[in-house]
Amino acid sequence: MVSFFKQKRQGKQQDRKKEEEKQSKTTDYIESSLSDNMEIVKRKTGNSPDIIFRTVKISQNPEINTTIVYVQGLIDNPSVTDFLIESMMKNPHLSEKILPQKALDIISEDVVSLGGVETVNDWEKLFLMLLSGDSIIFVDGINKALVASTKGGDRRSIQEPSTHLTVRGSREGFTESIETNIAMLRRIINTPDLWIESMKIGTVTKTDVSIMYINGIAKKEIIEEIKKRLQRINIDSILESGYIEQLIEDQVMTPFPTMNHTERPDMVAGNLLEGRIAVFVNGTPFVLLAPALFVQFFQSVEDYYNRFDIASATRFLRIIVFIISIVGPALYVAATTFHQEMIPTKLLVIVAAQRETVPLPAVIEALLMEITFEILREASLRMPKAVGGTMSIVGALVIGQAAVQAGIVSPAMVIIVSITAIASFATPSYSIAISARLVRFAFIICAGVIGFYGMILAFIVLVVHLCSLRSFGVPYMSPLAPLNPQGLGDTFFRRPMWAFKERPKLISSKGNLKREGENQRPLPPESRGMKTSDGRKGDGNES
Amino acid sequence: MEKAKISGYQLFVLIFLFEMGSALLVPLAGEAKQGAWLVILIATIGGILLFFVYYGLFRYYPNQILTEFIRSILGNFFGKIVAFLYILYFMYLAARVLRDFGETLLTFAYPHVPLFFANAAFMLVVIYTVRKGVEVLARTGELFFVLENVLFMTFILLIIVSGMIHMNNLKPVLEINAVEMGKMAFTKTIFFPFGELIVFLMIFPYLNEPQRLKKIAIAGLATSGIFLSFTMAMNIAVLGVDLTLRSQYPLLTLIQSIEVAGFLERLDVYFLLKLMIGGFIKITVFTYVAVMGTANVFNVKQSSRLAYPVGIVILLVSIVIASSYSEHIHEGLGAVPMFIHLPFQVIIPLLLLIIAFFKNRKKTSKHQRHNTDLKGGVDK
Repeated sequence: MVSFFKQKRQGKQQDRKKEEEKQSKTTDYIESSLSDNMEIVKRKTGNSPDIIFRTVKISQNPEINTTIVYVQGLIDNPSVTDFLIESMMKNPHLSEKILPQKALDIISEDVVSLGGVETVNDWEKLFLMLLSGDSIIFVDGINKALVASTKGGDRRSIQEPSTHLTVRGSREGFTESIETNIAMLRRIINTPDLWIESMKIGTVTKTDVSIMYINGIAKKEIIEEIKKRLQRINIDSILESGYIEQLIEDQVMTPFPTMNHTERPDMVAGNLLEGRIAVFVNGTPFVLLAPALFVQFFQSVEDYYNRFDIASATRFLRIIVFIISIVGPALYVAATTFHQEMIPTKLLVIVAAQRETVPLPAVIEALLMEITFEILREASLRMPKAVGGTMSIVGALVIGQAAVQAGIVSPAMVIIVSITAIASFATPSYSIAISARLVRFAFIICAGVIGFYGMILAFIVLVVHLCSLRSFGVPYMSPLAPLNPQGLGDTFFRRPMWAFKERPKLISSKGNLKREGENQRPLPPESRGMKTSDGRKGDGNES
Repeated sequence: MEKAKISGYQLFVLIFLFEMGSALLVPLAGEAKQGAWLVILIATIGGILLFFVYYGLFRYYPNQILTEFIRSILGNFFGKIVAFLYILYFMYLAARVLRDFGETLLTFAYPHVPLFFANAAFMLVVIYTVRKGVEVLARTGELFFVLENVLFMTFILLIIVSGMIHMNNLKPVLEINAVEMGKMAFTKTIFFPFGELIVFLMIFPYLNEPQRLKKIAIAGLATSGIFLSFTMAMNIAVLGVDLTLRSQYPLLTLIQSIEVAGFLERLDVYFLLKLMIGGFIKITVFTYVAVMGTANVFNVKQSSRLAYPVGIVILLVSIVIASSYSEHIHEGLGAVPMFIHLPFQVIIPLLLLIIAFFKNRKKTSKHQRHNTDLKGGVDK
């Protein structure tokens, strides 16, 4: 029985295959008859009205029909009207008598005054180009078509990025167009070694995805690994770089991001110069960066623009902020429920007096407040801007004041939750701030069950988990673990610019680590009569 | 064996944290009174000597873990029995340390929490780590090493600032004569913690630079010995001999007595953190080694699957090992060093080394004879 069905199914499959082959034979290559070709285009696109056919007659006795096909809105209007249609109509070459076989060559060589011109003869490629904004020229009697590059249309212009804000630094942010984004990088890094490889991913959307790296700085193995993982993707659509990120990351079961993303071209440039690889996806201003390390999520481009002492202090602050945003409420819960002896007596009296009226145990109180805060945050993100004002009133009044007055939560708890909330927004990378929020709940529960013991256990699990992660083969916690003393200069503190001798070892290509020359430390000029660094006095000539 | 490599620094860190693990808590070599720190140093030297026995074994079989080369030395049948005994030994030690930590925790912070719950929570964390493998353990160790040292430095700073050190408490150093000190060092302190280094015979083969092993291990042993000796000396200098010996956890008493600037006080959490980091590394190393040994002896392909069963056994053993804490301590100080540590840490490794020596000499001499025979043949 089983085998019988199997045979039948196989037979069906074979039939279907044959049918498919037949179909593909008829539609694989362009026909020589113009009307047939038009018919095929119309049938394939379902007669969609935004596909424009413009027929032009060229040559004299016999007249040859040519048709220009393009998609409205995707093309750059002036170039199609001025350089394609107008020149086809008015060009002296075309008004003479020409052979149909030569028409295509003449058009491409003498008539079309556009940058990219190409002949194609298979439909698949043709549709890809047509639907990405190129114009196609069919000539009657010829089984080829001419593709003129006329990509254009309306897009968002370059604006200031809305994430990763800085006081100092470039104001440009990526746009949704991959060409613009790549060009922005080209403008910053002016070397032929800036290599780009493109591919189309998504069986339906055919989204443009490009990887960019600096040849000689990026590690070959990592490039190969990323390419391999990208080529493995078989999905119908890629709508945002997040799709790619989730399909190529190293480990799925983790709250921590193992790829970084950014809207800032200068950040991408900085990362490329450290040997990382950028993945551009058409349709989103967010560019992926890999491999990503834990410490990297505490770095902001501005750290490198500011002087090193300021930058280091900010880095340090961010680490503290991250720790607060993870353990803040948990510490309060553990201290008030299990370790009252830890709190100084005066403070303990105040806290105890406040908690006197609160009917809930501290864990529940903390969870309640944290969840309320999360609801507030989520609501204010999603709701229409017009009603934004309501949110802050409701949030501040109801939760901040009424809850305390009603005696449901203690004022100390409100303070703790607010500090934690602010702390979680002070982390420069949004993606690691989200992870911290998730982990925070685990810590609160552990602290509620068994105090500091639970918190320390959770902390150990967190550290082990972080140490077990890898991003494209690079240990996530490097350069801290495995320890790389050279790399430590760009973690909790940032070494001075003149001391950035080498690129990060595990990420950059081994043969090309040197970053700057010797003796980059700025020295005061001798002629100014100031003491030089080695103690010699200058000549004292003030002029 | 896993497919893993750890660096020299990572091994050093693991040895350091492992040795410091539970030895920091108890009054180590307390019977030697003011000379305790000296006894610890002597025991450290003894530990280094003992390491040379292990190192000799490692030299013969640089690519095999303990349970593997025991079978190469003793043959499959006896080898398997001895290897299995070693696995039991490691599990027993893991259970002992786990019990130590559970009891400490309950005594000083959570009197109402059942022991089983405290131990089970800890064991879950250990199992999670063991499943991740030795590389992750080594990387975790690196981070904890930094944390532990930062804690240690602040701690010393606080003690100095609070002005609690009385050097007079350390006199007279030689209240007990040197012979007795040596005896104490070589019959007790050497086994715990220094002789426990034998578990690293299961980890040494992962080292990516075996030629530096000797230096790394000696550095690890010496550093931890000095740290332990320093801590014990500080305990006595601050608390005095009497109080140090009477308190179950001198370090805790020490930390609790810190009071700086009116607000830096009651630093119990600090003790808890230190306790748990050390204990975590120690129990994890023991459990990991037991899991790998079991996988090796019974030919289990996916060793990480054994983490749960072995972990649960260790957890249960840690509960039934003794009926009360005083019984546990009594066993630990009396019977365990004599009847368990001595054979497993000294006698069996020495015997193994001797057998390995003869076995390998025969092999090499045969090899040489074979070579000369060949040469003779050519000459003819």
